[in-house]
Amino acid sequence: MSVITRIAREEWRALFRDRVAVVGLALLTLLMLVAALNAWEHQRNANAERARYQAQANHEFEMQPDRHPHRVAHYGHFLFRPLNPLAAFDPGIDPYTGNTLFIEAHRQNSANFGDVRQSSLLLRFGQLSPAFVLQVLAPLLLIFVGHAALARERESGTLRILLAQGITGRQLVLGKLLALSGFALLMLLPALLMLAGLVASGQAAWQPSLLLAAGYVLWLLLWSLMVVLLSGLLARSRDALLALLAVWTIGVILLPRLVPDMVSSALPLPSRFENAIHVQREYLALGNAHDPNDPTFAAFRESILKEYGVTRIEDLPVNFKGLVGFEGERLSTELFERYATATFERQAEQNRLVDHSAWLSPTLAIRRLSMTAVGTDLTSFRHFLEQGETYRYELVQRLNRLQSEKLRYADDSNPNRENRISHEHWQTFPRFDYQPQPLADTYRQTAPASLVLLVWAGLLMALTSLMGARLGTTRQ
Amino acid sequence: MKGILCELRLILRSRLSVASLLLLFMLAALAVLSGLREVASQHETLARVAPLNKQDLASVETRYPQDANGGYPAYYSFHNTWDPPSNAAFLALGMRDVAPYMLRIRALGLQAQLYEGETFNAELALPGRFDFAFVLIYLAPLFVIALLHDLVSGERQSGRLRLLLAMSDGKRLWRRRVALRYGLLLICLGLPALVGALIAGMAAGALAMTLAVIASSLAFWFGLSLLVTARGWRSSATATVLMSAWVVLTLVVPTLANVMLNRSIPVHQGVDLMLAQRQAVHGAWEIPRQETMQRFYANHPQWQDSAALPPTFHWKWYFAFHQVGDESVADQVRAYRAGLLQRQVWSDRLGWALPGVGAQAILHRLADTDLQAQLAYQDRIGVFHQQLRDFYYPYLFNEQPFGRQDYASQPQFTPREPSAYAFQPSAWGGLALAWLLFMLGGWQLAQLRPNQQ
Repeated sequence: MSVITRIAREEWRALFRDRVAVVGLALLTLLMLVAALNAWEHQRNANAERARYQAQANHEFEMQPDRHPHRVAHYGHFLFRPLNPLAAFDPGIDPYTGNTLFIEAHRQNSANFGDVRQSSLLLRFGQLSPAFVLQVLAPLLLIFVGHAALARERESGTLRILLAQGITGRQLVLGKLLALSGFALLMLLPALLMLAGLVASGQAAWQPSLLLAAGYVLWLLLWSLMVVLLSGLLARSRDALLALLAVWTIGVILLPRLVPDMVSSALPLPSRFENAIHVQREYLALGNAHDPNDPTFAAFRESILKEYGVTRIEDLPVNFKGLVGFEGERLSTELFERYATATFERQAEQNRLVDHSAWLSPTLAIRRLSMTAVGTDLTSFRHFLEQGETYRYELVQRLNRLQSEKLRYADDSNPNRENRISHEHWQTFPRFDYQPQPLADTYRQTAPASLVLLVWAGLLMALTSLMGARLGTTRQ
Repeated sequence: MKGILCELRLILRSRLSVASLLLLFMLAALAVLSGLREVASQHETLARVAPLNKQDLASVETRYPQDANGGYPAYYSFHNTWDPPSNAAFLALGMRDVAPYMLRIRALGLQAQLYEGETFNAELALPGRFDFAFVLIYLAPLFVIALLHDLVSGERQSGRLRLLLAMSDGKRLWRRRVALRYGLLLICLGLPALVGALIAGMAAGALAMTLAVIASSLAFWFGLSLLVTARGWRSSATATVLMSAWVVLTLVVPTLANVMLNRSIPVHQGVDLMLAQRQAVHGAWEIPRQETMQRFYANHPQWQDSAALPPTFHWKWYFAFHQVGDESVADQVRAYRAGLLQRQVWSDRLGWALPGVGAQAILHRLADTDLQAQLAYQDRIGVFHQQLRDFYYPYLFNEQPFGRQDYASQPQFTPREPSAYAFQPSAWGGLALAWLLFMLGGWQLAQLRPNQQ
């Protein structure tokens, strides 16, 4: 063991004599701090802004004057998606999805005002965040400082001397790996401190933070292994550098773009426009809920009359218009659900395909793990939309119930009469309270990505060990 | 000529160089192909959707064949608007994946309809598109680095450097080598773009500018690489420095700049706009209807002689309060757009210092797929929406019956022409600097002396 640590110490000393390593580490740390501070502040501002908007929307909803309940159902409500504090670590798709959801009766609207449509194309260069620094830049620095770890010894002839002194190839490789992983840990340190700070201050739960930390440790270990492996396999340090840069370019820059692009053309999504037309057609076929004499609602009328044992809707103890609204909303919501679910499923299918490609490029795996752990992935966004939809349905049905109970049919169907119910009703409506995904779901969703990272690390470890063994036997 | 052929043979003998060139060519070709395919699929979608909407309009006609004042037809008719991709869109797909390029519009309040999003998978959009712009901005510089990082050090490592520098036509030799590599990379990138442009039927002027952008970006990276390589460092040191420069210029500074831009020009008016518009529109139900009509007539006196409102519901009041709602947020709309354009102006300015950002801005402007294109489409929708109002209002306010022949004369949307590229000196300034850098690099290389080595 002491041989290995001695080798590691030597390599470590060499690393810190290397200007590239020191300057690179300093710059990376600086960048990480800037990224963390900026992301943290942005996240805090965004949350404050959304909370303010939500309060304003709640206030406006509750301060409505006396109104007809159906008027209120169309006045609708605005819901804002709060961000997980961990999103400071990895904003994920947050800038791409709108965070403002307008809900109203018999309509499902899209979330609007995502940053992506409000920015110049500069956003498309990526977002500065700790996740970006660790996923993209940290492996590159590892390549710069580590590509010569073994190749240098070979080039200068010291490899032969070391081996002749009785050091085994495996010990040498392990020592180099230890040094490089130590360096990687230094790069990771600011991020780990940031996570620890978030947990300690009670802003983030410890479980997802730990998952995140473990994921990135594994990710950088994987790259340390890759660097040492290629440094030992290739004869010259320059070749090792070029090969590693090629691996990095393909794995970190090229594939993460190429794969999603191919997936989206292989499994295209229906456009919003087409969906809207299809939904509207089926919606019209459901009958007109605004019109109690609509033929498609005749059967419904019969069943209601029978239920109350009366022959005319005027004799019902409740307002029939409200009941029709209730039934219409139920039917239309079923219809919207069907289309929305189909779109969500299609998107999930696309993402699954990308996730499978993580076997080719583990970058996709660490990205999945990171976004899912902090709740800035599509699944968690879907979770918000679905909660918003549930809230919408309950809100509208509550209003329909108010219409059927608080207004008389004779009044409600008189076009010359203004029908309003007291504004006090709006103040008793529950507010939207977003519940983040349960942790168990997060674990389940990140499991395949974790597996990919583990298998890659295991594979590289086996190959590196093999390379180490060969290093000792081949005569230099 | 003989010298060039000789150099060409040298390059072709190096496996790394051949592989690099082939790979770049293939990636560029793939990007062009996938861009063309995406554009074709957008055209297809537009063609598929148009008849669907027509059927929809026809069904409104069957439901309301005769209407007293056009209220029902105006309320229920959704009109198709669309923004076809330009001939150059295949080069840079830009925002067309996250912003809708077709939108259904009716004569009600415009501001509640204009910001409707498109269905897209944000996780797929997040890493960005694989298009020609990506190959040019991200990948091409890496290939320049791969081909140039050992231009000098490679000769030294093989012991030929002194000899080369002592030769009488040494300068010509370097010039030949650099020119050949430049030419080969230009072909690898330019040829797929050229073929794609011919297939897509791009205008000659736009094509020429595309090629100029390609040539200039390459010039920047050649200049930088030559400056570094002429220092005579080891190959791996040269590669490290060049790679770091690439990372800083293409990955780090643009993201930092985006952060600063979004901070210094905050744009949250989007949400404010919608909240205010809703408040204004729904407030109309609370105030006496005549008050709304007075506010409407104040801005549109041509309708003020319309008959007084009946005690029951009338569509003209409904449409009037929607328009009043739009007009009440007009200032906010202007401020919102001004903020967005301001962001665009600043990111264009950044193109002076960052070749990637500069090339991105010009390519997307040429392709008409940037923020300006999106705003121009919204403007076009605004114009069409005004036509819709102008069309329906005479029926509503003059109590004119609306029959079958009136359906046939409803306004039709005409898509905007992709705005012709206006030569912006500011955007090209950065690229001009690229050529300056190229010359400087060439000059540095020519300064190499055998005794320094």
